[in-house]
Amino acid sequence: MMSRTEEDFELELRSLPGVLNVGITKHANGDVNVVTLVANSKDPLATRSAATQIASLYYPEAAVVVEDANRALIDLQRGEGPRVALIRADYDTSDGFCEVQLSVDGRTGIGRAGSGPLIGGAEATLSALRDLGYDVPYSLMTVTNVTNGRDWPVIVTLRSLANDADRFGIARSEDDLVSAVKATLDSLNRFLSALESRD
Amino acid sequence: MNDDSDDDSPTSATLTSIHAGESIDSFSVEGYEPWLFQTMLNELSERELGVGFIYSILELFATRHGLTDVAVVLVNDNFGTQMFRLGGESVTPEMAAHLTASPGVYCEPDTVPPAECDAVRTACQLAMSLHLARFSAAHDPLTNIANRRSFDEALEVAAARSARYGWAFTLVLVDLNNFKAVNDKSGHEFGNHLLRQFGFALRQAVRQGDTAARIGGDEFAVILSNAEGHESSGFTERLKGHLIALGNPVEFTIGTATSPRDSTDPGELLRMADGRLYEKKGIRIS
Repeated sequence: MMSRTEEDFELELRSLPGVLNVGITKHANGDVNVVTLVANSKDPLATRSAATQIASLYYPEAAVVVEDANRALIDLQRGEGPRVALIRADYDTSDGFCEVQLSVDGRTGIGRAGSGPLIGGAEATLSALRDLGYDVPYSLMTVTNVTNGRDWPVIVTLRSLANDADRFGIARSEDDLVSAVKATLDSLNRFLSALESRD
Repeated sequence: MNDDSDDDSPTSATLTSIHAGESIDSFSVEGYEPWLFQTMLNELSERELGVGFIYSILELFATRHGLTDVAVVLVNDNFGTQMFRLGGESVTPEMAAHLTASPGVYCEPDTVPPAECDAVRTACQLAMSLHLARFSAAHDPLTNIANRRSFDEALEVAAARSARYGWAFTLVLVDLNNFKAVNDKSGHEFGNHLLRQFGFALRQAVRQGDTAARIGGDEFAVILSNAEGHESSGFTERLKGHLIALGNPVEFTIGTATSPRDSTDPGELLRMADGRLYEKKGIRIS
């Protein structure tokens, strides 16, 4: 059951102009970890700034992510969508290495990385994207396996190599490896779409 | 929650609309669902309906029908379109764009009778409206801190406890300096921006259990729980620090009164704090 504070927190976020949906993931101890807003705001940066202020009052440690619904709507109207597809993700328990194969427009890319299914999965995904020819100017900062009371989603944080801008991705799947791969793709979803539309 | 990254379909939302109808303004007797009504009664016996109730209903609804996913899309006059998903999970932008086409209950799998979906949507709409009404009645719309009415109530409660148990609290009245001149010079929009920032700084500066309120145009009040008068200086310093961090140039004057030392009567405390505030401003009040 949500507390009154949690309810008011969500209501305040929903009162921001253009916010359509609020998603909240928590640490095992109940602290809010990531707040994800989907908004059709004209100014996503202003929405993020206002949401970050609100979150700082309730949950100072929480990260705030704003997803742009307008962009998705335009993609839908254009008949475009996420283009990078996961073909397979394997984890070799003997050496701790992950191998991820991605596909886009008939091309495939393969990436390998060690350090287990979470870090390895995210690193292998970045490597597979580079193998596909994408110039991905981000490095892996964190991979977190969190609980929200119902399941175990994985959150990936990437750090820009050019500035301090972070990208967050979140996904839940049948296992940590696939979750880490999808969360990495999720974090780069808009970035990859922008690259595609530029090409 | 994005669990469809490997799906290159443009409409990757997996939820299916099973009843995206027009808005429902009243609780239909024909659409009445005993389990839902009972849940509402149970919730009301413990607390008021709100956002939390929407998630409780979605959880029960999913369990009752063996759904793997469910979302309700509501339309509110104040908030516009709002989407709530099972478990409080986020939707992908693609899903939001797909589902917000029309309000309704979206289930996966698509197996629930439409009448029950209607009832769920109506209950969720009601909960959302009640929560918003409750929040609006207690908060200042510009700053989202407590309004005059809830401040008066909080002061009454604090004063009564102080009189009965001797618990100390300090009332701080805060008045912005020359704010009218700022409004006249830079316009009301900028003035409102400064007021919003000031409200935010106040919320940052108070501790959990304190009350921060906007009680007039440029007048604010804070109830510092378990605090003697001298402890208000810590609050003042925190407030100044937060204003500087926000780049807010507004200056302010405060007046304080402490219960039970000064009085335990709310009206008297307000008068004393007000008098001290004006004293600091060098204004004589008749």
